[in-house]
Amino acid sequence: METLSFHYHLQIRFDQPVHDHHFTLRCFPQTDSRQCIEGLQTNVYPNEFISDSYDSFGNHCILGCADEPHTRFLADVTGVAHTGLSESVPEGNPWREHLFRRQTHLTWPDEALLSFAASLPVCSSALDTAQAVMEAVADTIVYTAGVTNVETTAAEAFALKKGVCQDYSHIMLSVLREKKIMARYVVGMLMGEGLSHAWVEVKEGDAWYGFDPTNRILVRDQHIKISHGRDYRDCRINQGHFYGYGKQTQEISVSVRRKEA
Amino acid sequence: MKNFDLLDRTDTVNGLLARYGVKFGIYKNGTFKEQLFPFDAIPRVIEKEEFAYLERGLKQRVAALNLFLKDIYNEKKIVKDGVVPEDFVYAASGYLVPCEGVTPPKGVFSHISGIDLVLGKDGVWYILEDNLRVPSGASYPMIARELCRRASPRTFNETPIEDNRNYAKLLKHTLDYVNTGGLSVVMTPGRYNAAYFEHSYLAEQMRVPLVTYSDLEVENDYLYFKGYAGKKERVGAVYRRISDEYMDPMTFNPESVIGVPHIFDVYRKGNVALLNAPGNGIADDKGIYYFVPKMIRYYLGEEPILHNAPTYLPFYEEDMKYVLEKFDTLVLKDVAEAGGYGVVFGSKMTKAEKEKFIAMLKAEPRRFIAQEVIDFCDIPIQDRGQIVERKADLRAFVLTAEEPVVWKSGLTRFSRNPDSFIVNSSQGGGFKDTWVLSQ
Repeated sequence: METLSFHYHLQIRFDQPVHDHHFTLRCFPQTDSRQCIEGLQTNVYPNEFISDSYDSFGNHCILGCADEPHTRFLADVTGVAHTGLSESVPEGNPWREHLFRRQTHLTWPDEALLSFAASLPVCSSALDTAQAVMEAVADTIVYTAGVTNVETTAAEAFALKKGVCQDYSHIMLSVLREKKIMARYVVGMLMGEGLSHAWVEVKEGDAWYGFDPTNRILVRDQHIKISHGRDYRDCRINQGHFYGYGKQTQEISVSVRRKEA
Repeated sequence: MKNFDLLDRTDTVNGLLARYGVKFGIYKNGTFKEQLFPFDAIPRVIEKEEFAYLERGLKQRVAALNLFLKDIYNEKKIVKDGVVPEDFVYAASGYLVPCEGVTPPKGVFSHISGIDLVLGKDGVWYILEDNLRVPSGASYPMIARELCRRASPRTFNETPIEDNRNYAKLLKHTLDYVNTGGLSVVMTPGRYNAAYFEHSYLAEQMRVPLVTYSDLEVENDYLYFKGYAGKKERVGAVYRRISDEYMDPMTFNPESVIGVPHIFDVYRKGNVALLNAPGNGIADDKGIYYFVPKMIRYYLGEEPILHNAPTYLPFYEEDMKYVLEKFDTLVLKDVAEAGGYGVVFGSKMTKAEKEKFIAMLKAEPRRFIAQEVIDFCDIPIQDRGQIVERKADLRAFVLTAEEPVVWKSGLTRFSRNPDSFIVNSSQGGGFKDTWVLSQ
């Protein structure tokens, strides 16, 4: 178990002012059986109004609008997470689990990925299979930033044999779903300084277990979960719709540190 | 049935329809064109008893479809019990994940249902398709009736016809019933939509504002109408004639510039009613059509009153075998298409087309349904001074507030081409008034 303090920082700069900027943010960790979130503070700027909402996956969203012209949009989320309280998260909504059995546009396997999946063993437990798949994905993909983007599919990243956490996760999801194992995409934060992180949760019995293929580790107490969905698209941290000709640059920084006693 | 002088007044009525701008738009080769919707004054007449039978069947069908939608976006019992295979639900384009767990105000999903039927030569009415997203067409018989009454008052004085001019009242009640507080409005994608005439006419008849995306705004969990004088008023019900995917760029197609950002979030919180409910496309999917009689038995424990056209799903091996065997006698429909597009007749394909189609069918069996060609009744129309027989269908409108109510009229569309079975207005057909006799 760990007690971690976190700071999630998002900044978007527009080179020309934009207005009527509607946004939906999905960057708020929630308490579940594995983590307990305390002192969550959010600061979104600018805004005319903000409001809380929960999407169909149960992820916490903050939505709102910044009407007036602006060139900068900021969101800061801070708090403390007690992590590793349990190995797994219970199934919250069995009515929707079918969503995690099916491939999506981003996880759809091509021939190469299918034969990769076929080369891996199916063990008696979903968790053992997932462990083997995680090892194989970590062995195959070389962590390389800048060669893929948010639109890159599992098949494309697999062909490159390169990618970042999102690609590792999509490839792992693709293989697991091909093996009829229910698996979902998770966005969160990892101990240390950097960007947001992505990993995979696998269903065994009535609970979900986390696997981090990028780091080849099980999710225990170094990870703070933010959201889950079928793939990256369900977990987008920031969605915006605005008027103006501004070109935008987005900057994300995440800091997770062991809390000083 | 005496028609008095109504038939001699066809030109008068068509002239008035043109003056009132009763048109529909079509996109041809990338340009938008508005066309008159040719009216034929010979009415389709449905006897009182016969309509009572249709009414019972339609109410039953719409009740089951509503229960199906509620089930699919919540517990999914019908899938778990193996009545509808999961592939037909979750792989369908009409199934929308953001609608999972969202129950619309008062639990009504399909407020306005347009059910297409044909009368077979065997005297049996068959359901051709259900339209539960944005079915259009009610305005045409509404205004045609109004103009026919003006052109030939005697006809209507001396024939016992159910008055169909109550549609606006029924529709307004349907909106008010689910209204969560505030205005009811009609939302149109705009001037270049195929059914713009209808949007404006229904708004006018209901005396509610006709709005586009720029008149609406989300603020603090509620939807507001920005009045022309700058006053903001809360909106509690939106009869939206814009498709799900363009309705809200924050939840659906992010490229949409004709939607209202965050309107779906307001709906999710139960603070506005959207008519029809988003996600209804799963229930009027051509693949799901096959399962509607099963739904009626499953949810209502009743035998279906109205019949489906005999339908085969190549998804099932047995049906695939039948379809390949009887290919030349069947009509094949692409489940993803609408408006008469994606419909092909086995008998009309060349050998090469047929081979290509069968390869496609085998590669993607879920994408197609096959149906027996129903030999449906011809009805008389006027054609250059003569009376000739043409194919026609009937779109019945079922409005659901407390319970489903069938409008005592409907849109009868006919094909002007003697060889065609396709009556869709986008394919050049005309329309008739539908008279339901009251005695």
